[in-house]
Amino acid sequence: MKKFVNDPKNYVAEMLEGVALANPGKLKYVPAYNLIMRTDAPRDDKVSIVQGSGSGHEPAHVMAVGRGMLDAACPGDVFAAPPMDYVYETAKLLASAKGVLLLVNNYTGDRMAFDMGKEMAEADGVRAEILTIDDDVAVQDSTYTVGRRGVAGNFFVIKAVGAASEQGADMDEVLRIGRKVNDVTRTIGVALTACTPPAKGSPLFELGADEIEFGVGIHGEPGRERRKIKDADAIVDDMLEAVVTDLPYQSGDRVALMINGLGGTPISELYLLYRHAHRRLADRNITVARSYVNEYCTSLDMAGASLTLVRLDDEITTLLEAPAEAAVRIF
Amino acid sequence: MSGNALPGAERVVRIIAETAIANEKYFGDLDSVVGDGDFGYSLARGFEKVLEGWDDIDRTDAGTFLKRSGMIIASRVGGTSGPLWGTAFLRAGAVAGTAPDLTGEQVVAMLRAAIEGIKARGRSDVGDKTLLDALVPMTDRLEQEFSGGADAEKALRAAAVAAREAADATGAMVAKRGRASYTGERSRGSVDAGAVAVAVLTERISETWQTRGATS
Repeated sequence: MKKFVNDPKNYVAEMLEGVALANPGKLKYVPAYNLIMRTDAPRDDKVSIVQGSGSGHEPAHVMAVGRGMLDAACPGDVFAAPPMDYVYETAKLLASAKGVLLLVNNYTGDRMAFDMGKEMAEADGVRAEILTIDDDVAVQDSTYTVGRRGVAGNFFVIKAVGAASEQGADMDEVLRIGRKVNDVTRTIGVALTACTPPAKGSPLFELGADEIEFGVGIHGEPGRERRKIKDADAIVDDMLEAVVTDLPYQSGDRVALMINGLGGTPISELYLLYRHAHRRLADRNITVARSYVNEYCTSLDMAGASLTLVRLDDEITTLLEAPAEAAVRIF
Repeated sequence: MSGNALPGAERVVRIIAETAIANEKYFGDLDSVVGDGDFGYSLARGFEKVLEGWDDIDRTDAGTFLKRSGMIIASRVGGTSGPLWGTAFLRAGAVAGTAPDLTGEQVVAMLRAAIEGIKARGRSDVGDKTLLDALVPMTDRLEQEFSGGADAEKALRAAAVAAREAADATGAMVAKRGRASYTGERSRGSVDAGAVAVAVLTERISETWQTRGATS
């Protein structure tokens, strides 16, 4: 497997250096803790918003650091939770009078690291809270989780709490909003191929030429089942069925629809998926009021996509419409 | 500082670290019966880090010392033991606070806080065949002894006996938490490595208090 790589051990550090160099004056890189933070954070009039997870999911989360989004991200190595002292040091560096909100995608390793990091920061007098994201509908428990996994839907939580904190909301209000958005967000992913971690150099698992993994997690861990590949529209029908029936989303609802690429799928294919999802939702009298088609939360070079729906109300819509500027910009 | 709190905390942490290192193989062998055998190794490597940085640990007061020790343990002991043991020291340190002297009653309160921390972190309780099954009976006995007017030496002797009896009794239990739980019924018949560790540590602390006397 060919990769753009130097020494695989430096893969994450070199990526983070690149992010910092591409955003001079806006982002600061603290190598000791894999930390990318806004240069203007922390501010005492704002709850600091932090997320960490394994690396390999970019743009999540280091490239979502910026005004109206995250104040900082402290990823671990590829597909590995950040060590708890990264979380602890990050919480201390981002400590503000209004507190630090730690966003955690529900994976066992991440939860342990963040729970401990929070406890250690609190012992130093830092006010910190944790908000766990679990938007994946595929399975109740998985290889790496108790409960549902946190996947691409975390971008809607980031956007909403980022906007609210920017407007001066206090910790309780930011937590309320984050939980509310998580509660109305549902995601399912489909993998066409496995991904290849740089340090491993070979695919993480095997998927037959005519097979797809339906309900895949963001590291390629198993979902609901292996299926034979079908036409794109038929796959979208299966994804929508899994997501729409879960909340459930109902006739008359207004939603945000995200088609997220998993890293190895062309944007053109994502729009092909979007087209059918948008129409099928219209058939159910569900209005797509906001749409997101791009790579947000990836699994390195995995070919595949996830579909996320968020049920909107006026409050969530306003927060999603608020201005934001992240390291990944589309102009 | 002239009180007993900081010297006592230093002594206890040091005994725990030295005992964990000395018993690496014993704890590991116990764990390998039903677990993955890494308990002794993880604990020893982590506590080596505590001793390596011993002179640099913040000694502002007993609470700070215990919290800093807990942070080293949490981040340097591998597997789930680090967060569980680290949380115990953090919570005990929070209760100890800045007090220059600690009574037996306060030490019991520190242990209770440590127990609650382990329960929350591990989502476990008494009866799940974990270290809690020795730590809780040990603390109960300590509390009884102190409330009955016993001095530290006598209370610790009784607590060590209670911890050993409780650790031995885990042999009849089925593991419900930790890696040992994956083996279900097969875990019956072997004692829990974490519970035995609590017994060995309490015995060592008690012995040290008998020889050194009630300076703290």
